Amino acid sequence: MTARTTQAGRRLRFEIFRYNPEDPESAPHMQTFELDETPYMSIFIALNEIREKQDPSLQYDFACRSAICGSCGMMVNGRPSLGCRTLTSDLPDVIKLHPLPVFKLIGDLSVDTGTWFREMVEKTEGWIHAQEAFDPDAQEARMDDDTAAAIYENDRCIECGCCVASCGAANVNEEFLGPAGLNRIARFAMDPRDERDDADWFEVVSSQDGVFGCIGLMACHDICPKELPLLEVYGYLRRKALSSAMSRRS
Amino acid sequence: MNTISPTTTAKRQLTYEVVSGGSGLLLALFMWGHMVLVGSILTGERGFNWLATMLEDYYIAQPTVAAILVLFLAHAVLASRKIPAQLRERRKMLELGKGLSRSGREKVASASPFSPFHPHTESLLWIWQVRTGMIILVLGSFHIILLGMDVLTELFGTRVGIEAVTTMERVQAGLWLPYAILLVCVEFHASIGLYRLATKWGAGAMLSRTAIHHIERVLLWFFLGLGVVVLLVLAGVMPPPLAFLLGGAGS
Repeated sequence: MTARTTQAGRRLRFEIFRYNPEDPESAPHMQTFELDETPYMSIFIALNEIREKQDPSLQYDFACRSAICGSCGMMVNGRPSLGCRTLTSDLPDVIKLHPLPVFKLIGDLSVDTGTWFREMVEKTEGWIHAQEAFDPDAQEARMDDDTAAAIYENDRCIECGCCVASCGAANVNEEFLGPAGLNRIARFAMDPRDERDDADWFEVVSSQDGVFGCIGLMACHDICPKELPLLEVYGYLRRKALSSAMSRRS
Repeated sequence: MNTISPTTTAKRQLTYEVVSGGSGLLLALFMWGHMVLVGSILTGERGFNWLATMLEDYYIAQPTVAAILVLFLAHAVLASRKIPAQLRERRKMLELGKGLSRSGREKVASASPFSPFHPHTESLLWIWQVRTGMIILVLGSFHIILLGMDVLTELFGTRVGIEAVTTMERVQAGLWLPYAILLVCVEFHASIGLYRLATKWGAGAMLSRTAIHHIERVLLWFFLGLGVVVLLVLAGVMPPPLAFLLGGAGS
């Protein structure tokens, strides 16, 4: 696709959600800012411009500006997106910005994704489980290329929280592990170094808070800024749950 | 102690998921077969009556009605378990779905090459699946019970069984409207349901989502078109177009 860098001489209208939960005087409302579009303007550049020149109290998160840190997830016209890689030239004249739902609001567009992801990692025990003591001098165990590539594909998650915000199930069920949680399970379930077997995973995966809480809306897959193959992940977990139940019966 | 082990709960969840998807698959497959059977009216009343009598004489129709009723109810109970109970939660999902499908980024290529929709519409489609599902639950129950009485009792028509004359009289007396609504809802619900089922269990590894979506759309329009023609013939608006096959429309 050939990206346009700007649309001729546009005046952009930003409607931004404002609320500071720390301030008892503050009430949730939308505030409008106007801005001239410049070439290659991203939401990140636009928000900086607004904070510098129009309202220094505006809260939002950014760190890397290159879709690596996962700090700048926000709802851009209703779609969870990374502010740093969303160009205004792809958007209409009116741009509505909201904080990501599901996560705890810090203020305005800033949310606390950290607590959610930490809880998710604790629940899924998202680390390699091995009985044998680690020997730093031993040669690493070999892994075939396809397995390594599949693990790496799921490991590319930057924990921006866009998938969780886009997920209908996560929006109504607080306990649901969410797309990122299921992706984390798949990542360790397919890792041969992890000694947890199908039976260990079965109870976590096969539940209303696991893969069977997923309604199949596919929004997570469509909006993931890192283009993770999330639908493949759920297919893998569903088939794994089924095969593990069937193998135990036989 | 009266506790349920986590494994039992997990097995139960797996069973629910498999039965809700499996019953949906069977019902969708049945609906295509059903459309072909009802399509016999396109050859005229004689063809329709011959097929109906044959299915009843060999006791195929009677157990099928019972089995479909069971599948229909099982699917309604289990597929509806993911519909949020609170109105507030449903509104949240509706807002989310609307936002995703109207994000003003139609020109932006979707994140994934698998996605056939620009922008994402499946979240809204699911809400339509719930809505059509509710309509099917009401109108479909009515239809199955009515047909059950046709097949098993002498209440309607001149004999026990489905008859073209009774069916046409009903449709012409006003049942064309609920049947038309039922037709649109069933075809939509089934095709979107099959698309979702295929992607859920990972058919994406073999067929892209675009391909699955195309297949689903072709099936949707084919069976919807066929259904409309059948309904027009039953309503007496149109003569049976395939009557020449049986040498005329006479009974």
